[in-house]
Amino acid sequence: MAFAPPRPRTRRLTIIAQDPSIKVDGKILTTEVEIPAEDITPGPRGYRVHVIDYDTSTNKHYIPLEYEPLKDGIYPDPFKQTADRGEGEKLVADPRFHAQNVYAIVMRTLARFEFALGRRVAWGFPGHQIHVAPHAFADANAFYSEKDQALMFGYFMGRSGKTRKFTFSCLAHDVVAHETTHALVDGLRERYTDPSSPEQAGFHEGFSDVVALLSVFSLQKIVGMLLGGKDARNPNLIDPSAITYEKLKKSVLLGLAEEMGKEMSGVRGKRADALRRSVELKPLPPDDLGRYATTEEFMEPHRRGEILVAAMMNAFLQVWLKRIEKLKAGRAKGSKLDRELVTEEGANAAEHLLTMSIRALDYAPPTDLQFCDFLSALITGDRELVPDDSKYGYRDILLKCFLNYGLAPPGKTDSDGAWTMVDDDRITYDRSHFESMMRDPDEVFRFVWENREPLRLYPEAYTKVISVRPCLRIGPDGFALRETVAEYIQMLTLRAEELEAFNINIPDGMSASQEVTLYGGAALVFDEYGKLKFHINNRINHAARQTPRLKYLWEYGFFNRKAFSDNAFARLHLQRATNRSTDMTEEF
Amino acid sequence: MPTTIKPSKLNIRAYQVGFGDCFLLTFYYPKAKKASDKERHVLIDFGSTGMPEGTPADQMMRVAEDIKEKCGGEEGKLHVVVATHRHKDHISGFSTDGDGTGLVIKGLKPEVVIQPWTEDPAARKNATSLRGMGMAPKQMQASAAYISSLDDMHAVSEVALAEITKMADPKKFKQTVDQDVSNQVSFLGVDNGLPNASAVDNLKTMGKKHHYVNHGYKLNLSTLLPGVNTIVLGPPTIEQHAAIKKQKSADKDEFWMLQAATKEFWGLQAETGEKVKEIVDEESRLFPNAEVFQQLVPAHNRWFIRQIRAARGDQMLQLVRILDNAMNNTSVILLFEIGGKKLLFPGDAQIENWEFALNDPDDMELLKAVTLYKVGHHGSRNATPKSLWKCFDNKKDEIGDPKRLRSIVSTMKGKHGSDDRNTEVPRRTLVNALKKYSDYSSTEAAAKKGDLYEDITIDL
Repeated sequence: MAFAPPRPRTRRLTIIAQDPSIKVDGKILTTEVEIPAEDITPGPRGYRVHVIDYDTSTNKHYIPLEYEPLKDGIYPDPFKQTADRGEGEKLVADPRFHAQNVYAIVMRTLARFEFALGRRVAWGFPGHQIHVAPHAFADANAFYSEKDQALMFGYFMGRSGKTRKFTFSCLAHDVVAHETTHALVDGLRERYTDPSSPEQAGFHEGFSDVVALLSVFSLQKIVGMLLGGKDARNPNLIDPSAITYEKLKKSVLLGLAEEMGKEMSGVRGKRADALRRSVELKPLPPDDLGRYATTEEFMEPHRRGEILVAAMMNAFLQVWLKRIEKLKAGRAKGSKLDRELVTEEGANAAEHLLTMSIRALDYAPPTDLQFCDFLSALITGDRELVPDDSKYGYRDILLKCFLNYGLAPPGKTDSDGAWTMVDDDRITYDRSHFESMMRDPDEVFRFVWENREPLRLYPEAYTKVISVRPCLRIGPDGFALRETVAEYIQMLTLRAEELEAFNINIPDGMSASQEVTLYGGAALVFDEYGKLKFHINNRINHAARQTPRLKYLWEYGFFNRKAFSDNAFARLHLQRATNRSTDMTEEF
Repeated sequence: MPTTIKPSKLNIRAYQVGFGDCFLLTFYYPKAKKASDKERHVLIDFGSTGMPEGTPADQMMRVAEDIKEKCGGEEGKLHVVVATHRHKDHISGFSTDGDGTGLVIKGLKPEVVIQPWTEDPAARKNATSLRGMGMAPKQMQASAAYISSLDDMHAVSEVALAEITKMADPKKFKQTVDQDVSNQVSFLGVDNGLPNASAVDNLKTMGKKHHYVNHGYKLNLSTLLPGVNTIVLGPPTIEQHAAIKKQKSADKDEFWMLQAATKEFWGLQAETGEKVKEIVDEESRLFPNAEVFQQLVPAHNRWFIRQIRAARGDQMLQLVRILDNAMNNTSVILLFEIGGKKLLFPGDAQIENWEFALNDPDDMELLKAVTLYKVGHHGSRNATPKSLWKCFDNKKDEIGDPKRLRSIVSTMKGKHGSDDRNTEVPRRTLVNALKKYSDYSSTEAAAKKGDLYEDITIDL
């Protein structure tokens, strides 16, 4: 008797590994990625992603592909054979492949987030399926739009050597992953799109770049292609002299930047350039660690974000090198290494840092994020799951790499750089219920309200619990780490003249009657017994934080423009591409 | 005429050209010996992109004829023509097509034509012609690239106009794009589209001498306008602009790199737009072999298709706004100094243009003492930088104060921008400030009365 094969949990789909300009032996580099399995309806349209191939510039709506159902326990990949034959150009000429490419990369990015956080992750809008337009318009732009519940990818004439041809941003892995990350971060930390500081705006861009780049580096094929030091006699080996920090930086990081810059530089918001410039951003000397944070150039959000990218990409190389050191153990000095193992270690390093970065979001304050807060979130999140870091020293490497760019853990952290754990006998649990605390915002609000004094809430501010998320993560010891992460925010609208009572300075030129809203809030992390483990907060009446925030917002004109309700991501990308920043304080 | 002679009086004739600019400055020299030397005329801009309802259809011709008459009729003479920048609302009247208003101006045989350095026809052909401006090779290249980006911007604008026109066609779409968005894209698209070739050519050929100027350009007009010192405060060259930006940047090469990238961006946009327009005109598609829905699209896609079309409209608006600003920022900023009087004519310059002068202490001294201000860009919110407005010493709230600043704006309400978004032109808050602190005139008053112009006379 033949048994029916089990229904698979995942399916594999072909994508273009990075973008069509990246070729090996003259053929576009493709790969297969593993994503959650589902019966795809035409679009592709699945449980989280709905691709609609409508082109506004030509007013054409392409008919999508019908996907074959499960066959012998496998979901067929319709483009695998074309890819295996090395006919990448055929894929580029087929809009139905473009639709698959975006669908697969968006799903893969979503799956990475869900894996890292141990739960379902919502988009930044009230809806389950994100709309994706792979050929939204003829324009060198791509963006996430919360209002439209969508990712929109443009196409434009690219320059590949001397020839001109259409270039599709939906075929660039990093562009798709970057925009998807905006949509996911917006779901996890909805207040990060608020006007706050150049660093918070820079975080959305920098973090999306980090996720996009680490996603690309987690594909072994890409790492293998970029890695130099090929042994002519035995291509399966690599000379250890090719894997120093400087050489990896040149071959892998700058190599990718160069490849990315070839034909799609128009749409990345200079991401190719951002990668290059991040890698080349010089570490700061110990006596001048504040230089970047105080230079006007770094007030521009993308440029500011490059500091985060620089710290993370340097950490990636350091971790990779550390893993290669382990490969060398027990071998004669200078002996050649297995090339595949070296690339695998690179992909693993990228994957691990990617998971750490995503996980860190749960341990980051919900408002006014600074890069130093993110560093402590990275350290805390990793330490909770993997207390012993001695094997590769991820956390030490991250601390050092961030410090090189003037970023050190903020106050309220312990000697590891992690957030200080809550240790306060005044916190009471007796009026809230453990079971509902894991999912019910009203229950968490009750807890917050009961404990407003030990939590140092500002009593007159409007307070709201904006999310409660249970999560389950499996540690390397096989045990599960159960936590519940909740966020509350506080808002207080005042007249400028009232700010002095908080020791907050009124920005120069602001009238006494100007209305100003202050934001504060915290992430609450409860342990598996429902006890509060971390209270990661930005107090609303913290003058040292609010004064520079208000000064920045005032000077950059956020108080006098209704236009800021426009799509912030589309605007930011366009401003960056056109090298334009307006000085709105000069406007009437 | 000996250069020691000074004008005794100045008349500024502000023509009612709807949404546009046209000013005729007449300097009076009663002591001049020759009758033909007793009046000297400077025309600053002559263009329009829209007239108020009820304006005669031949208004522009009537303006041209009046300029001719004011300059002395058939044997008349126009001494200086200034075309601040190439937007249609500033140069359309120089066109020799149609009713040929430009021929009338050309007939007045202007001695000198002043335009921004970005209009230098020689620089379009060969970057090294900019050497005359004292530029190093890197700057010459960047400047030539910038000039060519301006051309690309026109192309982008033309394409946006074509695309929005299709999207707003009720015969094609049951639900067209937002009317306000399509109106704004169309308005800016027209003004920024390919410049009226005939006006550009006419300006190129009409003057005996051309000055393509930048901040600090030594403009010696003392023979033509004795006793008048004409100072150029803008636009800055790329190099001058870079100097300001570099003060703020840790990376000294950053400016030049971004400059090159920006050029590339506009080049790509222009090429993309033209290629796609070709596809649409041929009724083809991006993927000619792929099948498309012919009639009804799936019901579950319709909401999103409406959303994405609206998003596309917004995006085009952002693009045309950026290139509109770029073009405005090529405006010539002129300051006429006659004795203690200082008259400021800044075209449509915005902060990126003003920045250079506002950072120069000597220029600031001049600007402080301005006695007449031609309000920038028809009174829009972003062409009178607050730091400029703050520096004017002659702002007085007392009506009748002899030292009170005079301000004059050529504008037309309801043509551009929206009250809801605080983008209306003229901007209410600016007009209120101008009314409160200066003797304010607007060509809207002439429009209301059905007059062709308003005269402002200043004793010098």
